[in-house]
Amino acid sequence: MIKTKDMKTGRDLFILYPGDYYASAIQCFIGSVTGSCVIVCLYDTIRRIGGMGFLIVPGAIGTEGIYRDQIAAQGINQMELLLGELVKLGADRKNLTAKIFGAATFRESRLSREFISTSQLRFIDQYFKSEKIPVYVDDLGGDYRRKIYFSPTDGKVYRKVLSNNDESSEFIKMELEFINRIFRNKDTFGDVILFE
Amino acid sequence: MSYILVVDDSPTIRTSVEFTIKEFGFPIKQAENGAEALDTINEFKGKGEDLALVVIDVNMPVMDGISFLKEFKKTDRFTPVLILTTESEGAKIKEGKDAGAAGWMIKPFKPENLKDVVMKLIQ
Ligand SMILES: [Mg+2]
Repeated sequence: MIKTKDMKTGRDLFILYPGDYYASAIQCFIGSVTGSCVIVCLYDTIRRIGGMGFLIVPGAIGTEGIYRDQIAAQGINQMELLLGELVKLGADRKNLTAKIFGAATFRESRLSREFISTSQLRFIDQYFKSEKIPVYVDDLGGDYRRKIYFSPTDGKVYRKVLSNNDESSEFIKMELEFINRIFRNKDTFGDVILFE
Repeated sequence: MSYILVVDDSPTIRTSVEFTIKEFGFPIKQAENGAEALDTINEFKGKGEDLALVVIDVNMPVMDGISFLKEFKKTDRFTPVLILTTESEGAKIKEGKDAGAAGWMIKPFKPENLKDVVMKLIQ
């Protein structure tokens, strides 16, 4: 993540790289670019706190659904990291609404259209239902990248379709690295420490 | 039979934890935050139901897991409290240990690991 300034408004702009997550209760923009990953923007409509994070589920989710699935556990955890930041700022899961973007497919990608449309969309559908977080916008699919600006204190999202990949070559490289990292670590779980 | 209390603000995580540990046969109750957990414990204490174990998240609205632990340990020094959280920072873990946690598990949890830990703690 880097902190810079939005030229038009003079507000702080936090640019997230694939895999980053950030939440804020003060006026700013959080921005990023996504291709096959999903950018999730969560907004607490009562407390006016918002955050953005990345989501990619590293494989197929079993027929039993997300509760007993170790692949889904990785997606749940990516969301937990973002939700944790929101809660630390005073947000409550009960007031949250979601806007989600991405899950694009590209001919040159190792991630097939089938994989994106079944695994990712299935996880998103089950997860947000389970969390009872209403999804206000789901702008998913297509074969193009999206540039997203999120204003965390009013929940507004500004989206631009990127037709030219040159503009986002840095993000394309980093997204691939992030996806590879999540797939490589799909069998990795957290440590256990016993005190007594 | 004494019960296990699962506390997390995420319904998804509460359900996952419940699925993982229900084979032990303990009744399982759920709460959404630390304050609700304290209320639940008091309510069932009034009915004469014993608590075997608390599995609790850290980052929750209303009352977080560490605040719960500090409050809970004032009246119950013996029932084990297992922290289950995304927090992995040394200082946070030490805070939990000092407040009397029995263990600290970092999410995402491996179901077998959670079962092993729960088994150890309820014996
Ligand atoms: Mg939590």
